[in-house]
Amino acid sequence: MAENTTENHQKSSKITLRTIELSDIDDFMVWATDDRVSQYCIWDTHTSKDQALDFIKNNAMPHPWFRVICVENRAVGSISVSPNSGNDSCRGELGYVLAYEHWGKGIATKAVKMVVSSIFQEWPHLERLEAYVDANNKGSQRVVEKAGFIREAVLRKHRIIKGISRDMVVFSILSSDQHLDS
Amino acid sequence: MERHSDSDITIRPLDISDSEDFINLYADEKVRKFSSRDAFTSKEAAIEYFMSTDIPHPWIRAICLSGRPVGSISVSPFYGTEKCRAELGYVVASDCWGRGIATAAVKMAAKAVFVDWGHLERLEAVVDVENPGSQRVMEKVGFKREGVLRKYYLLKGRPRDAVIFSLLSTDDPLS
Repeated sequence: MAENTTENHQKSSKITLRTIELSDIDDFMVWATDDRVSQYCIWDTHTSKDQALDFIKNNAMPHPWFRVICVENRAVGSISVSPNSGNDSCRGELGYVLAYEHWGKGIATKAVKMVVSSIFQEWPHLERLEAYVDANNKGSQRVVEKAGFIREAVLRKHRIIKGISRDMVVFSILSSDQHLDS
Repeated sequence: MERHSDSDITIRPLDISDSEDFINLYADEKVRKFSSRDAFTSKEAAIEYFMSTDIPHPWIRAICLSGRPVGSISVSPFYGTEKCRAELGYVVASDCWGRGIATAAVKMAAKAVFVDWGHLERLEAVVDVENPGSQRVMEKVGFKREGVLRKYYLLKGRPRDAVIFSLLSTDDPLS
């Protein structure tokens, strides 16, 4: 598997990241309507194409940093970094989602590594990329650990997911940390 | 070390007449050290900030010693999927440090805010790693130290590591 670690564009084996388009709607619906995928996410499963289009137009497209994760140019998930403002602007929050049939293949880990390798250059003021993962979501905890994040704490009753407050594990990677090659 | 009986220490809503005490509180560079608030350039600017930011705060109290304001304590809510939690912050005049005032105020504020906000489940505090005094206050009240968040926030423009503490509505100190 050839890897272009010296090149600046985001391509690693078959996995690429790009901005979302309205034409991604059908692929988007595959993961957005799946309860298994939304289980540990703060968003609720989408129930209609209109709702999903609204999300893409009004949420994903204007987002400060939102990409779809593509395998052979087909969108199989998405990954984003949400900035903070004022005295919190040194940190950004990572989030991602992957269609169920593509779990267990290292795709999420690869996508996270690709974000880590570029976000600190794109946002020079960013010192810390953090991820909040449901304490029961062992799969996603492994993903960020494999991507080089450090587990810092379990924050009790930190977020509401599907109507119930959850313990969340907080992970971070700093611009000054060692980055793993994509 | 002079300790006060807890009955000497009270918390109460702010009054416009507290503006003078607030200006003096934040004029103290020891107080400002770990505060996000910078020194004000003028008394007018300080009063303006007090009126526009402190008075309308969602949950803020003056900390009083024998009826005299010596600090303030506030709880800032989060919203949406984070509305189960809120963040505690406080300042105490430096000539009143070491007397158990912050500990008493935090205990009273924690009890009160969980009553006022029935949906609140978690009260958290983010304390600079180089602020052991405030870390001790949290521990004495019964907050749980959860971990250290690296380069979590900017203090005077520099990224800082911070200890995160939490108290749940169901934790012991409150039952």
